[in-house]
Amino acid sequence: MPLYELGVIINASLEDEERNAFLGELKQLLAKEGASVVKEDVWGKRNLAYSINHQREGFYVFWQYDGPGTVVKPLEYKLRLSDQVLRFLNLNLDRETQRARKMAKVRAEQKAAKRAAKERAEAAAAAPVEEA
Amino acid sequence: MSKKKYFVKRKKTCKFTAEGIEYIDYKDIDLIRQYVPVSGKILPRRVSGTNPIYQRKLTRAIKRARLMALLPFLGD
Repeated sequence: MPLYELGVIINASLEDEERNAFLGELKQLLAKEGASVVKEDVWGKRNLAYSINHQREGFYVFWQYDGPGTVVKPLEYKLRLSDQVLRFLNLNLDRETQRARKMAKVRAEQKAAKRAAKERAEAAAAAPVEEA
Repeated sequence: MSKKKYFVKRKKTCKFTAEGIEYIDYKDIDLIRQYVPVSGKILPRRVSGTNPIYQRKLTRAIKRARLMALLPFLGD
């Protein structure tokens, strides 16, 4: 199951209880879909770089969770419908690193092939001289 | 003797290549800020000396940070 990272900006004017209740709901949803939160990173209140919905502050929460791909749709649906969420960003972290690893491998192979071709060419260039 | 201006060329290095970073996190604002001047624009490769592979990753990270209101779309 891939590792996802969810970043949510929640309305900063919400009371702690309301916010915790909302986060609890999200966790329940995740659990229901068979996902589990691996890492929690709560930044708390933070000034936004620009105002969203006429608000200058937001409450930042970042979660890393492990779950099947079927989690994404209901989770994003809920986040999109909620009035308390200013912004959210859901990323598949595995996909990010996998692509990087794959490309690094391809590049290393290309480099090795190029080097081998060069060595062969040099050997071919050197060989006739020895014969003569 | 004609007046000539001399420049000292600084060697540019790609930080990401040097440190072997695999994934640039959009939450790492202190790192990303180094590549975003006050204007809010993304520093071009010719200025920062970043490797093309990492420039693309950096761009993606900056755009994500903008979406999450960690960086401005428009600077001062």
